[in-house]
Amino acid sequence: MGKIEWAMWANEQALAAGLILLTGGIVGVGGMFRGWEFAAYSIAAGVFVCLLEYPRGKKNKGTSVERTGQYCFTVCVKAFGPLTRNYYVRAFIHAAIAVPAGFMLATVLGCVCLGIASLIYLGAAISGEKWEPILPRTETRKAVGESIKQPPQNPPPRPPAEMRRKRAEDLEGAAYDNPIKVSTNDE
Amino acid sequence: MVLSFKSWFANEGGKHFILWLGANAWLFLRTFLTYSTGQQYYYLYKMLGLGLCISRASASVLNLNCSLVLLPMCRSLLTCLRGTHTLSSRGTRRLLDKSKTFHVACGIAICIFSVVHVSAHLVNVVNFSAFYSEDLPALNLARYLGEVIPGITGVLLVVILFLMFTASSYCIRLSNYEIFWYTHNLFIVFYIILMVHMVGGALKYQTNVDTHPPGCLRPNQSSPELQGEELEPGNEERRCKEEARFHPHYPQTWMWVSGPLCLYCAERFYRYIRSSDPVTIVTVIRHPSEVIEVRMLKRDFKAHPGQVVTVRCPTEEKETFGVHMRVVGDWTERFTELLLPKTGVELEILPMVQQRRYPNDGWKQFRLRRLYFVWVCRELQSFYWFSELLCALHHKLWQENRPDYLNLKLFVSQTEDLQSMSEEKYRPLSSRLSIGRPRWKLLFDEISNANRQKHVGVFCCGPKGISRTLHKLCNSGRYTGVTFEFNKESFS
Repeated sequence: MGKIEWAMWANEQALAAGLILLTGGIVGVGGMFRGWEFAAYSIAAGVFVCLLEYPRGKKNKGTSVERTGQYCFTVCVKAFGPLTRNYYVRAFIHAAIAVPAGFMLATVLGCVCLGIASLIYLGAAISGEKWEPILPRTETRKAVGESIKQPPQNPPPRPPAEMRRKRAEDLEGAAYDNPIKVSTNDE
Repeated sequence: MVLSFKSWFANEGGKHFILWLGANAWLFLRTFLTYSTGQQYYYLYKMLGLGLCISRASASVLNLNCSLVLLPMCRSLLTCLRGTHTLSSRGTRRLLDKSKTFHVACGIAICIFSVVHVSAHLVNVVNFSAFYSEDLPALNLARYLGEVIPGITGVLLVVILFLMFTASSYCIRLSNYEIFWYTHNLFIVFYIILMVHMVGGALKYQTNVDTHPPGCLRPNQSSPELQGEELEPGNEERRCKEEARFHPHYPQTWMWVSGPLCLYCAERFYRYIRSSDPVTIVTVIRHPSEVIEVRMLKRDFKAHPGQVVTVRCPTEEKETFGVHMRVVGDWTERFTELLLPKTGVELEILPMVQQRRYPNDGWKQFRLRRLYFVWVCRELQSFYWFSELLCALHHKLWQENRPDYLNLKLFVSQTEDLQSMSEEKYRPLSSRLSIGRPRWKLLFDEISNANRQKHVGVFCCGPKGISRTLHKLCNSGRYTGVTFEFNKESFS
């Protein structure tokens, strides 16, 4: 087994757990079960976890696959700096969020699933993984078109002066017939 | 894009989804109606309401899908079926090729209906206590057995399903296949717990409906609409002859699930037995762009199209089969190191003999009349992986006077750093090489013009972008008279 990136799996789990918390909370509030306040809490907790976990982190090796439309979430999550980059902090946050959801039957599944995700994040943190944002690559285009825009400053090089000079010793050879008859302005 | 009905039907309508969707819908509705209108569930329905019907209906759909989900994974059995003459119709072969898609569809259905089932049962638990029945004490949820066993097994089932589902996303399979594989093998624990899930008899049905018609009047009760009046003789029939009696349901899941489970376990056992036979590596060739070709020999094995080969790493005139693999991850790197030690290491490398065998005159037996081979690569070097094979095929067909059988079209998508295949022996390839991505519409126009009134099978193995474009083109109505059948293969 090569180097496994546990954080990627923990991310999928946490996102799914967030959705489970949300669903359990909606059922609990909708049915007005006993302890529905915990259900209301777990709706909020589920939404928070989903927002935090939606942007996927960058893979260490290979190409990272983004989730659809995750760029704005990436920017928000990146703004929190080390709080979101460090997986120890994430593991602790998820464990803390999961605890109140365990007090009600409708949300206990969300609690268990988020607890598992928190444990996997702890494992990822121990392996030394970090969350890196996937940012669009700034394309460095080769400046091919630059030289075309500026016209040449100098005329093209001319042959040496001795070739340009009329050969006085060979007037016959230097002479040529004008194709158009040359006339003065009086005529 | 205008859809041609004929093309659409060939590509989508034959899919088994319609049959499978229909089976699920029918089962859901039938169970729902049984519990909402059945006489034996009258009192239970009064107590629990809609939650009962939804939970039982989703449970029966779950039973169906849990039994169906294993069948597409019996790969050896499917390969065997695909090769037999009884099932050699093209439609059935295409169906068997879509086995992975069917497995995924059943898996998603299991997840969705688990959510429905759990939610409905949460409502049931509340209703069991809210509508506790003093008149029918036997119907109430037995404190220990009826609540605890299904509850705990249910939580365990959802946790296992959660682990399996989260590890099956495309991203995880691509980067950390071992997580996917090992969590998916928890299926056996899932099925064992599933079969004991209904033990405890939480849900009961009435056994004496004939002597105690539901809704009948008890001896000390009077009918609400005949208050104060004497009971007429006709109303004697509305009196209960005896008290209602209830009996818990027996667990039924084992009837659905045990067949496919045994079949799949047999399949795994067969694969294990086959894998214990050693494989001889006959040739290893290193191709450009980090690709190695490994040709192998195994006793009693002949490679057929549509098979899956699981490679696990530790001449006479025999047919070898081979795999080309791209060295990308840690497993392939280690495999390459074992086969092709780096230069500078003092090792004795045994000579390997290259053997290639192609069907000599077997073209006529196949229904294939013409093959268009379109290959798009990023770099020119990649074409060297199969250059020998393609050139050999091309020459062979020219000699057999069938030059139009194989139409090669090679495309290099990276347009910077142009090179050419300068070797004379690869002339057939370099003359059919184009720079830039293929223009699929023009290609399809050309193929449809040259093959009117024919069925053209399109086989795509590549990224989703190309696959989607080709699928749309196959379904479009542009090509009158020609039906394009779309097939795709993915290996993640």
